[in-house]
Amino acid sequence: MTIGATRPEPPRPPTPALDAARVSGWPFKSVLVANRGEIAVRVLRTVQALGLEGIVVYHAADRGSPAVRMADKAIEIRGATPVAAYLDAEQILQAARDSGAGAIHPGYGFLSENTAFARAVEAAGLVFIGPTPEQIELMGDKVRARNFVEKGGFPVAPSAIEDDDPASFVERARAVGAPLLIKPSAGGGGKGMRIVRDLSVLEQEIERARSEGQRYFGDGRLYVERYVENPRHIEVQVLGDTHGNVVHVFERECSVQRRFQKIVEETPSPALDADKRREICETAAGIAREAGYRNAGTVEFIFGQGGEFYFLEMNTRLQVEHPVTEQITGIDLVAEQLRVAAGEALGYTQDGIGARGHAIELRIYAEDAARGFTPTTGPVLKLRTPQGDGIRIDSGIVEGGEVTANFDPMIAKLIITGIDRDDAIRRADRALADYALLGCKTNTAFLRRLIAHPDFVSGDVHTGFLDANPQIAAEPEPDRATVDALLAAASLVTRPMRDVADAVPDMHAAIGAWRN
Amino acid sequence: MHHAFKLQDVLENGDHNVELSRARSGYRLHVGDRVVPVNLHAEDDGSQVLTVDGDSRRILVAQHGDDIYIHLDGQSYHVRYEHPLDRLAAKLHGAAEDLITAPMPGSIVKLEVEAGQAVEQGQVLLVMESMKMETTITAPRAAVIAEVHLGAGQTFDRDAVLLSLEPQAAEGDA
Repeated sequence: MTIGATRPEPPRPPTPALDAARVSGWPFKSVLVANRGEIAVRVLRTVQALGLEGIVVYHAADRGSPAVRMADKAIEIRGATPVAAYLDAEQILQAARDSGAGAIHPGYGFLSENTAFARAVEAAGLVFIGPTPEQIELMGDKVRARNFVEKGGFPVAPSAIEDDDPASFVERARAVGAPLLIKPSAGGGGKGMRIVRDLSVLEQEIERARSEGQRYFGDGRLYVERYVENPRHIEVQVLGDTHGNVVHVFERECSVQRRFQKIVEETPSPALDADKRREICETAAGIAREAGYRNAGTVEFIFGQGGEFYFLEMNTRLQVEHPVTEQITGIDLVAEQLRVAAGEALGYTQDGIGARGHAIELRIYAEDAARGFTPTTGPVLKLRTPQGDGIRIDSGIVEGGEVTANFDPMIAKLIITGIDRDDAIRRADRALADYALLGCKTNTAFLRRLIAHPDFVSGDVHTGFLDANPQIAAEPEPDRATVDALLAAASLVTRPMRDVADAVPDMHAAIGAWRN
Repeated sequence: MHHAFKLQDVLENGDHNVELSRARSGYRLHVGDRVVPVNLHAEDDGSQVLTVDGDSRRILVAQHGDDIYIHLDGQSYHVRYEHPLDRLAAKLHGAAEDLITAPMPGSIVKLEVEAGQAVEQGQVLLVMESMKMETTITAPRAAVIAEVHLGAGQTFDRDAVLLSLEPQAAEGDA
């Protein structure tokens, strides 16, 4: 196998050089990261590279974490649980005041999409690195966001809400067309949902869903929407400034999921041709433009096998999977977030943004895929990470640390860039093999089986891919040669065994050879 | 006396009985009726070179008590040393069956029993939460609760001992 001399390098980004003179004109000189783990490290990296002071808050459980070691200042916060500490807006604002922070970056999760927090940050005279509170509020409510997008003339899945006009509900549901999904209005967690593929049974299915809704939620009201069979999850990165400029930074395919959570993301999407790519990316930019969107955001779509796509939701923050976009465009999305928050104009148009190569992100989880993806815990006794061209690791753990049940089990991200998709998959397999964390089971072996699956290799995946292929999660039994090697290594490091062996004089050892 | 290891996280996890003896150069691993020449050599970078039957490869090993973690051929494995005395005790008393352990990391939502209480087979002992889902732990057999190891609200790792049962008086056991 030859990789050749071609290294996966992104095109020159359109973004301006951020020298010290330019950054010193910004309204903030320091940024407090209200987050933890790999994303706190990721944000700090750019903050410090720009010559700004990087501050983090941390719970005692994270005292030895890489973000705390890296930050210029680290301020301890407390909580009933470690997670509660990171959700405590008042304490974080106090930490910002105490440390003299000029801006707050919320990362993802925790307070990143909390309207009240964004307002409180601004009320405290600090800069919130994100969109306006109104934009967070608009997109935070699924129904309001959907209505907003539909009113703008953008594609949403055809649907009918019973409450709009109960008398005509069945008729309007029929007009949605098959296949369709009936959901309880008060529902959640998939309970009471029914898929209807034959409209002749629509009425009886509606009655059944109503009685289930009544039983589960004490509320029989329903709504229906078009059901997309084996859908893909495709999302588009957008960037907006305070001067009315909005661009997209291409799409990400995030169809490989387990328990509705993404585990592998890549760009470009193997499902899109040039025309479809332009169409979906321009749709996303159009939605962001309609909202007057400021800062980095992501518009998510459900993408059907026939190429139809519908708005799913908009995330008003940096995404976990943002690095793949950075890898193929050369754009530092965190730097763009900071620049926009400082009031700078983007300074480039859509045509200025190019992409080259293919990037895949593999989320490394402390979990046991073969046991239903249940979380694992343990000490990080040894950590050896792969190195080389096209390998980026965003990590929240260090050797000597510990993986606990306190937080989300995602501990690191392996971001692999290749000259094309096949090259990226090849490099990803090697990088996963070279990623060694001893002391806590991770999903790396599972990820290797996953990216070797013929359907993944051909790009033919959908959000139900892992449910349809449970054998990928199953742990294959090690063969005899592997078991021998494991027993040999284990025996040779086990003191009582080695001591006993070493205690036997050489002569006896030589005599013992008769067994051979 | 034979030593034994258990491979963790695999379906087949019976004891692997092994012995190690010294060879003229290196060691011999005795597995079942096979004898395999083996050796392990530490490198400067913290990795080790493992030689099995003449084939050498670079591996990573870390130990934590009786747990041995090995990264071999692109995959990480977990092997546990089984103490000879523990194995003997387990054989005599069936100790493992008297321990109620956590199937996954989580926290205790509700304790339904206390020490000294008699329970029926299938009776709910406690409710735990993991991954935002509640799971009930029930009694594997009729028994008396010997000890409650954790309180409501406490968090624990997988395989943590939650409760122990009074040993069952086995037939023929004095």
